[in-house]
Amino acid sequence: MTKNKSGIWSFFASVQLAIVLLSLIAFFALVGTLVPQREAAVAFAERISPALFSFLQKMQIFDLYHSVWFILLSGLLAVNLIICSLDRFPLAWRRFRMKHEPENEDVFRDVPEENTFSARTDVQTAADAALSLLRRKYRAVERADEAGSVWLCAQKGRFAGFGVYIVHVSILVLIAGAILGSVFGVEGYVHIPEGETVEAISLRSGNAPLPLPFAVRCDKFTVELYESGMPKTFQSDLTFLKEGRVVRTAKLLVNHPVEFEGFRFYQSSYGAAPGGKATLALSREGGARDIMNVSAGYTFALPGKEGMFQVLRVEENLMSMGPAVKIVVRSKNEEATFWVFQQIERIREMNPDAIRQVPMFNPGLFRPYTFVLLGLEEKYYTGLQVNRDPGTPVVAVSALGLIGGLMLILFSYARAVWIRVAPSGNHVLVAIAGRSYKNQPGLQKEMQYLLAELKDHLEKRQ
Amino acid sequence: MIHTTILSWVTFIYFAAFVFYLFRMILGREFWGKAATGAALAGLAFQSVALALRWRASYDLGFGHAPLSNFYESLIFFAWTIVLLYLLIERRLKNRSIGVFVLPVAFLIMAYASIAPGMNQRIEPLIPALQSNWLTSHVLTCFMGYAAFTVAFALGVMYFVKKTAGPEPGLFIRLLPSEFQIDELMYSCAALGFIFLTLGIVTGSVWAHYAWGSYWSWDPKETWSLITWLIYAVMLHTRLVRGWRGRRMAVMAMVGFGCMLFTYLGVNLLPSLHSYMT
Ligand code: HEM
Repeated sequence: MTKNKSGIWSFFASVQLAIVLLSLIAFFALVGTLVPQREAAVAFAERISPALFSFLQKMQIFDLYHSVWFILLSGLLAVNLIICSLDRFPLAWRRFRMKHEPENEDVFRDVPEENTFSARTDVQTAADAALSLLRRKYRAVERADEAGSVWLCAQKGRFAGFGVYIVHVSILVLIAGAILGSVFGVEGYVHIPEGETVEAISLRSGNAPLPLPFAVRCDKFTVELYESGMPKTFQSDLTFLKEGRVVRTAKLLVNHPVEFEGFRFYQSSYGAAPGGKATLALSREGGARDIMNVSAGYTFALPGKEGMFQVLRVEENLMSMGPAVKIVVRSKNEEATFWVFQQIERIREMNPDAIRQVPMFNPGLFRPYTFVLLGLEEKYYTGLQVNRDPGTPVVAVSALGLIGGLMLILFSYARAVWIRVAPSGNHVLVAIAGRSYKNQPGLQKEMQYLLAELKDHLEKRQ
Repeated sequence: MIHTTILSWVTFIYFAAFVFYLFRMILGREFWGKAATGAALAGLAFQSVALALRWRASYDLGFGHAPLSNFYESLIFFAWTIVLLYLLIERRLKNRSIGVFVLPVAFLIMAYASIAPGMNQRIEPLIPALQSNWLTSHVLTCFMGYAAFTVAFALGVMYFVKKTAGPEPGLFIRLLPSEFQIDELMYSCAALGFIFLTLGIVTGSVWAHYAWGSYWSWDPKETWSLITWLIYAVMLHTRLVRGWRGRRMAVMAMVGFGCMLFTYLGVNLLPSLHSYMT
């Protein structure tokens, strides 16, 4: 190549630069695992001086993987890869296009003793045997008959030379996909209580919530446990709505995300939602007992029409004393607020004075009624991860290319093999030679194998 | 349980194989070499049976997952792949002297798995995020890679042992492959490991994509696997393009192995999704 290379070109075409860049990226990645990143940095801030913290923050040390440093290094690596590939590709192309002539004195110049043998047969028989052997193992075989000798040449693995380029282009595609994702992607999450609908998600980057172009409702959430109490599966039944109309329903399970209009929903967590339903029994002194299903926020009439009561809160486990409901009762001239515990008997046992000490714990505070909490109907919220990453398919393609290219490099290599059959008295002299840029030891083994096969074959014919 | 018993026997068999390889290197009698190979093969066979039994036992318990799900199982599988890879290489090269360097690693891993305090050897159900076929292929490919890197590391150690020998080396040193052979083999192992690590990272990303919603989240374990991957990429380039050989390659194999070990074990010191310890 007689290209006039400028300084910048050869700087970026050098593999030293690649080695430095790969090492630097590894180093930065390492630092990122030692210094707390993003949310974790907040706790770290309290342990160092504010000046140092703000300096480090300016240097983007606390979000290293999204920092200018990282982008800069990836950019340099990309340029390095492009220039290096452009620089070397013509050579690979010429090697790919190179057609070897069967007659080639050069390759037989220093053939070692072990790559030759002599057999008691005629040139044509030996040449035909060699030709059919080569045809079985290689695709393109050429033959030339010249002055009583026969020359054969076979080539294989020409495409293997492109393996390196496939790998390197895949790295470029990977970088492109990652950039696409970080520029246009969205990483968010949302909690949806059973039965409720959301139209926006919170973003991991902590900015304002992102409105979705549709609404999602969680119809039902189910969790199944192993006997040990570990979760076995959890599942959300989701409904997607546009302008109030149901467009799609889907079951969402862990490891089985659901995609809707470019957003992917993943089941990531769950929990008890506030505001489940509670079953209350209201007994009047010496009178009837009514059972009512109530939920937080709603107001109900007392059975005897003395007034109204409102459910303020429904708690799964209030102050470790079990399920409880907070109630306010209002009549014309009285107002009482109190908690109704499901396990009131147990609380009494543990502290007989509890109700006297804390009037708010007296479920009979509004006479003549006594409230009893019979049970809570649990209500869950489902925790969903919501992502949109237009770079994902690009990255997937790069992964396939990376693996395919590496396989090509590992399992194949370009080589050419020559066999020369020459007369020598009443014998023939068979010699084998080969060329490979990459794997001379492997090729030598292959040639030994070919030679042994041929020898075997010719001896059997005698 | 029967598979645990078999596995503790396997630990001793590997130790025996190591001792036999050592006898061969010191006494120079091929009888010991054959005994060592036989022991290693027997250990591998028993270990395979134990793994299969453990797999079946998990079905009998009603969970049904490959024995690759906790730290204990990963150690056992790691030792298994190391011995498998080593025996393949021994067959290919027809040279038994690498065994002295590889078998003790397998033995130590097995011993650690059986006696380390707090090691949980029970078969346990999987939490939902781990119930995926990608998990199996992820762990499988990662440990194939780890095993290849471990053999490359053992070869690196061997290179230095060979190198530091005096002008009149003893039998042990003379039985080792030539420096050139060690170097070639070390590179082949590193390249093989590189492919498997690449596959491991890719399958892991696919799994993360399904389970957590993004193919890459800079979790410490992910990051360390990338660091390891980059180190081996540097190793391949320094060799192919800069022509580094021998001592420098041996050093790279050791640095890479250190990163790999940190990816596997050290990361548990950092908070992570991947922690086996919890
Ligand atoms: C993470 C990034 C990279 C990976 C995974 C990678 C991978 C590889 C692999 C596996 C080989 C071995 C090919 C073989 O055995 O023939 C190779 C060779 C090579 N790489 Fe890279 N590479 C990367 C980055 C780079 C960069 C940035 C450059 C820029 C100069 C570069 C330049 C080369 C060259 C010149 C070769 C030798 C090709 C030959 O043998 O003809 N690589 N690379």
